[in-house]
Amino acid sequence: MGVTCVCQVPVSEGKSVQQTVDTLHKKLEQLGAVKQGNFWVDCETYHATGNATGQPSKLLYVMHNSETPLSCMALFEGGPGLSADANFDVLMVKLKSHFQNAKGHKVESRGCRYRYCDFLVKIGTVAMSSSARGISVEVEYCACVIPGDCWNLMKEFMQSFLGSNTPELPTVFTSKPEGLSVPVDCMDTMSQYLELFSRVRKQQVLPGSGVR
Amino acid sequence: MEAPPVSVMPVTGGAINMMEYLLQGSVLDQSLESLLHRLRGLCDNMEPESFADHELVYLLKGQQGNPFLLRARRSLLHPPAPWHLRYLGQPEVGDKSRLALVRNCVDVSASHSLPEVLNEMGFRMDHEFVAKGQMFRKGAMKVVVSKLSRVLVPGNTENTEPLSLSYLVELSVLAPAGQDTVSEDMRSFAEQLKPLVHLEKIDPKRLM
Repeated sequence: MGVTCVCQVPVSEGKSVQQTVDTLHKKLEQLGAVKQGNFWVDCETYHATGNATGQPSKLLYVMHNSETPLSCMALFEGGPGLSADANFDVLMVKLKSHFQNAKGHKVESRGCRYRYCDFLVKIGTVAMSSSARGISVEVEYCACVIPGDCWNLMKEFMQSFLGSNTPELPTVFTSKPEGLSVPVDCMDTMSQYLELFSRVRKQQVLPGSGVR
Repeated sequence: MEAPPVSVMPVTGGAINMMEYLLQGSVLDQSLESLLHRLRGLCDNMEPESFADHELVYLLKGQQGNPFLLRARRSLLHPPAPWHLRYLGQPEVGDKSRLALVRNCVDVSASHSLPEVLNEMGFRMDHEFVAKGQMFRKGAMKVVVSKLSRVLVPGNTENTEPLSLSYLVELSVLAPAGQDTVSEDMRSFAEQLKPLVHLEKIDPKRLM
């Protein structure tokens, strides 16, 4: 796995989510990218029950990524994260009296996976309770694991199909105390998706997004 | 770079319920060599695996009922290896399990941020210990002979003190629920270890 950058692309004026996604697919195909299967990333929210102090309890996010089908990631927003094997989901079922699954808060991004030389581009429709809420774009440069070494190249590549929607260097890399020369891991990707999903959850429902 | 098969769904929602069948006993330090000698003869033909693990026991106190217990274990011999998190349920009661202790078991491999995340979830470390010993295998059965030591300064695994003058011997099998022949196979293997060690079903509740 390489350095990943996850960003949200706004829906084009006067177009639907699906139409904007189709436009992005066309741009990638024109560049010469080849479709290579599908992907999904999902995020479930758990909140701790039995909080005696009356303070709002911390939220635990349990995420899965189709790129790592046998793993499960557990994160706290702005806090520590854990990557574990798929049995962690079974453990959360055992913990159900202490951690409740807020089923209505499940967010997932599903879509196509494109490969362009050493880049992997995943365009996903972000949905919550079966209604499309936005578009996620993940660009992975598989040949490098150090963000500082390849960010300029990634940015240039993203500009060729995202144009003005190209994001800045993700804060998950800039906020690391050791800086940009530290190798990435899967938690960096999942933290970016978590940020995007949290933003999407707070947004209002898009007009005309309907049921997928 | 090919897409992993999306149709392969990870195990979720308790679809596979693994049970741990357990028999326990102990031997005094001076009898250890004879036991190891017999185990080397009886078990599958391989050098027994030595291990040195540091186990931390975490408790989550809920509003009602017993606290939820999780065991987090890491290897002192292979520091980069992932942590091993284990949940053990209440022992099953019933005639079927009269030969061995049967408990629901969930094993999770986790990254090194496990203690931080458990603390953030509300778990608090209750106690920790170091276990050093050897592991033997016979088919699906696992025999672990270990020396348990108390950690004198929290977090410092160099400075330990043995808990007793004996070694703990555990015979266990991990199998899906409903396999009745497992405890019989375990009992016949345990017979072969007598009189060096007497393995029996020890109900943890009786010790509290």
